[in-house]
Amino acid sequence: MTDATNNGAPKKALKTSLIAVDERTKRRNAAEARFRAYGVVAIVIAILALIGLVGSILNNGSSAFRQTFITMDVYLDPAKLDKDGSGNLEKIAKVSTFGYAPLIAKSFEKKFEDPNVGVEGLSAKKAAKMISKEGPAEMRRFVLANPEMIGETVSFKFLASGRIDGYFKGRVTMESAKLDKNVSTEQLMLADQLKAEGSLQTSFNMGFLTRADGSENRPEAAGLGVAILGSFYMMIVVLCLTLPIGVAASIYLEEFAPKNWITDIVEVNISNLAAVPSIVFGILGLSIFINFMGLPQSAPIVGGLVLTLMTLPTIIIATRASLKAVPPSIRDAALGVGASKMQAVFHHVLPLAAPGILTGTIIGLAQALGETAPLLLIGMVAFVREFPAAPPEGFFDPAAALPVQVYNWTQRADPAFVERASGAIIVLLVFLLAMNAIAIVLRRRFERRW
Amino acid sequence: MSAGLVILVVIAIATAGFFIGRSRSLSAVNGNIRQLHSLPGYYGQTVFLAAAVPALLVAFGWLLLQPILVESQITNMIAPSDIAEGSSRGLVMADVRRIATGLDVAIATGALTEDQLGALSADQSDVRALLGSVGVALASEVKESVLVASKTYREMTATLRSAMAIIVILLSLGGAVFSLSRIKPDFRARNVSETAVKALLILSSTVAILTTIGIIASLLFETAHFFRLYPAKDFLFSLTWNPQFTGGSDLGILPLLWGTLYVSFVALVFAVPIGLLVAIYLSEYATRKVRSIVKPAIEILAGIPTIVYGLFALITVGPLLRDYFAQPLGLGTSSSSVMTAGIVMGIMLIPFVSSLSDDVINAVPQAMRDGSYGLGATQSETVKQVILPAALPGIVGAVLLAASRAIGETMIVVMGAGAAAKLDLNPFEAMTTITVKIVSQLTGDTEFASPETLVAFALGLSLFVVTLGLNVLALYIVRKYREQYE
Amino acid sequence: MYDAPNLGATVEQKDIKISAKKVQVYYGETHAIKDVDIEVQDKTVTAFIGPSGCGKSTFLRCLNRMNDTIDICRVEGDILLDGEDIYDKRVDPVQLRAKVGMVFQKPNPFPKSIYDNVAYGPRIHGLAKNKAELDEIVEKALRRGAIWNEVKDRLDAPGTGLSGGQQQRLCIARAVATEPEVLLMDEPCSALDPIATAQVEELIDELRSRYSVVIVTHSMQQAARVSQKTAFFHLGHLVEYDDTANIFTNPKDERTESYITGRIG
Repeated sequence: MTDATNNGAPKKALKTSLIAVDERTKRRNAAEARFRAYGVVAIVIAILALIGLVGSILNNGSSAFRQTFITMDVYLDPAKLDKDGSGNLEKIAKVSTFGYAPLIAKSFEKKFEDPNVGVEGLSAKKAAKMISKEGPAEMRRFVLANPEMIGETVSFKFLASGRIDGYFKGRVTMESAKLDKNVSTEQLMLADQLKAEGSLQTSFNMGFLTRADGSENRPEAAGLGVAILGSFYMMIVVLCLTLPIGVAASIYLEEFAPKNWITDIVEVNISNLAAVPSIVFGILGLSIFINFMGLPQSAPIVGGLVLTLMTLPTIIIATRASLKAVPPSIRDAALGVGASKMQAVFHHVLPLAAPGILTGTIIGLAQALGETAPLLLIGMVAFVREFPAAPPEGFFDPAAALPVQVYNWTQRADPAFVERASGAIIVLLVFLLAMNAIAIVLRRRFERRW
Repeated sequence: MSAGLVILVVIAIATAGFFIGRSRSLSAVNGNIRQLHSLPGYYGQTVFLAAAVPALLVAFGWLLLQPILVESQITNMIAPSDIAEGSSRGLVMADVRRIATGLDVAIATGALTEDQLGALSADQSDVRALLGSVGVALASEVKESVLVASKTYREMTATLRSAMAIIVILLSLGGAVFSLSRIKPDFRARNVSETAVKALLILSSTVAILTTIGIIASLLFETAHFFRLYPAKDFLFSLTWNPQFTGGSDLGILPLLWGTLYVSFVALVFAVPIGLLVAIYLSEYATRKVRSIVKPAIEILAGIPTIVYGLFALITVGPLLRDYFAQPLGLGTSSSSVMTAGIVMGIMLIPFVSSLSDDVINAVPQAMRDGSYGLGATQSETVKQVILPAALPGIVGAVLLAASRAIGETMIVVMGAGAAAKLDLNPFEAMTTITVKIVSQLTGDTEFASPETLVAFALGLSLFVVTLGLNVLALYIVRKYREQYE
Repeated sequence: MYDAPNLGATVEQKDIKISAKKVQVYYGETHAIKDVDIEVQDKTVTAFIGPSGCGKSTFLRCLNRMNDTIDICRVEGDILLDGEDIYDKRVDPVQLRAKVGMVFQKPNPFPKSIYDNVAYGPRIHGLAKNKAELDEIVEKALRRGAIWNEVKDRLDAPGTGLSGGQQQRLCIARAVATEPEVLLMDEPCSALDPIATAQVEELIDELRSRYSVVIVTHSMQQAARVSQKTAFFHLGHLVEYDDTANIFTNPKDERTESYITGRIG
């Protein structure tokens, strides 16, 4: 212990007061404040990004839930619909939607008899273009269902065409209408008159949630019905497959697997699988499920299988974590009273881990619900107008999926689809929010601290 | 008998077997349970498993293999001359399947009887109209050979279905009877049933391995196919990407790789500092209250699907960057650009980077902080000079994982980056990435066997290899880092 | 050099370095330290002893405001260092901690080289103008930490690679490198084996010539070996504070006596 003593240089007389803060400390404190400010700025940027993201979607999409309707009294002219007056349904069915369009023009003519309604230079035929092309189809469906109504005047609440709807949502203006061949300023003026008169109104758009997709030039008729149903079918497939397989795999790996190289490979494999880009799973689905096994394209079953394989690692990781959280003393207690290992796991460990497993499963499902890329590759982008049948056959029918529908709509030319796409995102986010809320409630309710 | 019904029958047999087995074990000892080796329920379980598991495995295997078998038989029945111009064998086969379903429907609704069907010939009657009347619309008139193929298809399917039903149900019954016959008081039912359950557990844990094998096999197989049609050298080293429908395409990966790396770089430049600072602030500075608000808010960002980010890029960020930066600066007029995709992807990665860094920073022992504070260091000095250096390996791992995420991300770049493959430095220019091209080549209308489609698999393989490499490296670094403090 | 148990050593009167009056510490709802009054002398080793959870470590951490880093901790009363209240609003805890260094229970070298560990304090406080000065400070600190001879050939090796006793002496060297006036030690030997403990104790005795040392310890033998003054804490109260010799031979409070004779603890 000589080092300490042979260094006897007198200590510097550093008798500084604590209260007087020296220059250097001031600088250091300024650096401290700056660093702290960087942190705050970073958080503010992150929060602003979140607000911007959600705000932009809400701003663009909330109008999709409101739609402009035009109420018209239409005389179902027997001369057009039932020429021989026989009431024969097959003959009536021969009249296509084109045969119904003139009836709408007729009822506009009638409307124009009112002196307050009518615009110089706008014929009834042109005015009828303000009604969605879906309108005649709707009438035809009505007539085929109620052939006895032919000859009566029936009040229909038609969808207004996308441009008229856009006018009331601020998407279309008088200026833009001058350049647009799909809408004229006269039509917009008439729309204003109809609104004043009360036959044109904007109301909640249930059809957005229930209708099938609409074609390129009928954005006003496009709905999410098929997509919601398709996503729902896929979630059923995912749930029915991932939960049992995921839990079984986790139980094996956590409770039974011997510590050897095979188990190591399985574990490394699962953690890497969780990070494989989702589009690669799409390629897998395309080449194995569709090309090799011959399952149909665009079918929820294929989507479900692909999403199952994608979700499996998430669920296995969550399940193993909650199995691990059950203290070994529980297993020892069960084994101590003579239960077999299997009994200890199934009777004691699994029930205690169940809330955690369920939470993990819901979060995994939420992830799967929002996944888009792999579904593009297995043909879910196709334009599907038919609702899939009831399960189990429905699993094999073509269907859309919510996120893919969003992508689909963004690829179309008419700007009205942007509103639809954002509206669809809102629906998707509401589902996700609900699922996550359930997961949080479950976790709060059943969380156990050992 | 439909497959669903067969499965239900098997389950019914198995359930009945469970109860019979249970009561049989009880009657074997006249209700004195203590003389049994296992609880009565286990005897029931052995019967249930023997009746259900082999039968269901056979049924699923059959369902997977039957279409392949039938398809290969039917395909031979269609002569090349029956395939119309611009059509393909696959489309004709789709027609065959559709007609077969239509015929089933026609018989089910009574529009056609089995006898009439036998006599049905495409040359004499209008099959298209007939099927149309039962709600199955066909695109074109039905050729005789196609009709015959459809009829055979229908018959083969029906025969194989019935065969499957019979075999599966017999197997199920056989299993039930066999295991019922084994029930005796000293039969070790629990051990048998537990062994079977364990086998099922093991089977489940192999699904992950099978998935990996499936991914690798499908990528390798189709990539090899692609390289037979297109030289690997050109794919890897050509500087142009220019697919043509008529053939003679240039399919070089380099412009796509450049776009991918450029977008990912922008995203990481944006996400890493912000994510890291957020993590540092939350773990070192924030009060409990701030943490309890900010942390969930940032986790919300992590839970938002990428399609939402894609739409955000398309309708908000893209036009914003174009109108306020690119156009005034004269850098371009495209709303989809490297910058658009990069920034939005950066936003997506913030929570990823921050939550991984948060874990890593929290793994640095409190003693390090105490040591530093005890010497009179300020918090920022402690963070910069003690915590970050200590956490560096973990943070590098987190950044690598984020990079792998960025490279594999699809929807944001599909909707935000553009479709033009070029080697350019201007970040406001539209560029394209590997994932964008995988989507566009596989969702296009080109024939599956053409190099323009198959290139997607080669791109997929490249993507898989790169991301897997990054992941393995990152996980290795993070694990090493954790071991240091455990 | 190393004078074994200095039970009989006379303690001459020295300057008061730290004086605490009516100190109360609260952890959330818990009242951890109650009404503590103490005067710590300069150039003296003062030992805080007492059963686990008696508040001795908590009180020690008040002396350089380490408790500030714990959100729920609240300190009341006055603690004066050289007559200045260290809890005054104008006092920067960073400057305070440069004057009142601390050594912890478990050796906690930073994951850096031995040199960088010791140079860390001087660097952040700007004590050296150039590399040569810094080298000098580091060498001096390592010598005072009685570890120079062991590490002088491998200053670039990581500090975490040393043995436990060496790590703790490195931490002491790190603490003295900033030229503190007071050195607080929170059970500095509890994670060390007997040989390393003896080395550290020897070092503490040497440090007394320069600093006021306050040591918290579990071991009464250690307190008796290294300290001149001893304070006995019990349930948050300072029960007795006197010359070490008096505490161990002639305790005035019966709780102190019970503890020393092993009846409570």
